[in-house]
Amino acid sequence: MDIHQKWRIIRILLTTGYLIIGWLVFTGNFSPFSLSIGFLFSFIIAVFTYDIFIEKEEVARRALLPRISLLLIYPFFLIFKIYLASFKMVPAVLTEKIDPRIVHFRTRLKSDMARVLLANSITLTPGTLTLDLNNDHLIVHWLNAKTIHSHYAGKLIKGYFEIWLKKIWI
Amino acid sequence: MRLIAYFFLGMGVFFATFGNIGMLRFPDVYTRLQASSKCGITSIISIFIGLIILEGLNSVALRITVITIFFLITSPVSSHIIGRSAYEEGILPWRKEKPKDKQ
Amino acid sequence: MDINILETVIIFLSINSLISLYRVIKGPTPQDRLIGLNLIVAQVTAIMVIASVNFRRPIYLDVALVYAILGYISIIAISKYLKGRKLHE
Repeated sequence: MDIHQKWRIIRILLTTGYLIIGWLVFTGNFSPFSLSIGFLFSFIIAVFTYDIFIEKEEVARRALLPRISLLLIYPFFLIFKIYLASFKMVPAVLTEKIDPRIVHFRTRLKSDMARVLLANSITLTPGTLTLDLNNDHLIVHWLNAKTIHSHYAGKLIKGYFEIWLKKIWI
Repeated sequence: MRLIAYFFLGMGVFFATFGNIGMLRFPDVYTRLQASSKCGITSIISIFIGLIILEGLNSVALRITVITIFFLITSPVSSHIIGRSAYEEGILPWRKEKPKDKQ
Repeated sequence: MDINILETVIIFLSINSLISLYRVIKGPTPQDRLIGLNLIVAQVTAIMVIASVNFRRPIYLDVALVYAILGYISIIAISKYLKGRKLHE
């Protein structure tokens, strides 16, 4: 058994684990019958889709298993930010004093999940909306743009999110 | 406790109304997307928080939490995909006219 | 208290979704119509959840969850379909 085959088995098992977590959250049922059905179908789906879910080159341990304790606190931080964003949206709707621009910048996060979460968090923060995410290059539409310099715009928009996500994933 | 729940429900209706007004008033696709995505998700989250407070801790509240988490994950993704399809079709964003350009 | 708060919230959300229907009918680009649809899906899901709490029928929650999943998938499918064609031809 060479190293590629071992890595394939580990990827199938990890995908099965994530699917079972999803099954438990959506059914909320812990009877043995439900658990065995969930395990069977998770395994069948994982055999077909492990190559899409975890790519072959993505081998860092932190990229696959996030830090659970911080991941559980993150949604509350995000909900607080969402309320702040909406309260800033109300005067913009009423007065229509807006100056939208499109800015480009890069991120230093490495894991795919962390990048997706960063894009989602940017969409939910005040006046910014992710338009495109290519590898590590983000295109962001910004209401009330303060600057179009990519470095400062990245610093202003990413803010604390990148630091948090860097602690959770890599 | 009921009053706090009613406060959250009222806030949900408030934000839903403002999201709609923003969607009707703003000038182009991207700004409308901003208004609808932010105010939409805030109204949904406020209404669900209000219902969870109203229900207390039982299986119904757990189900509502699952729906909330689902919305928190999928709502930004769908608005991002609409925005990307507009950007790839080449729709230019609306710009505020500068005083110099008017003369 | 005489009036039922939950039913009032349902009525207000229905009026809101009717207002967003205006953007779906009138929107100049297909993306505008999609924005309106996205907002309508969110509000109808909220209405279903409130109705399930109001009428004491937990089975409506499953309906709301399936409706949210279907709305999300359909919006992604329509956007992918729009990507392949040009706007002004």
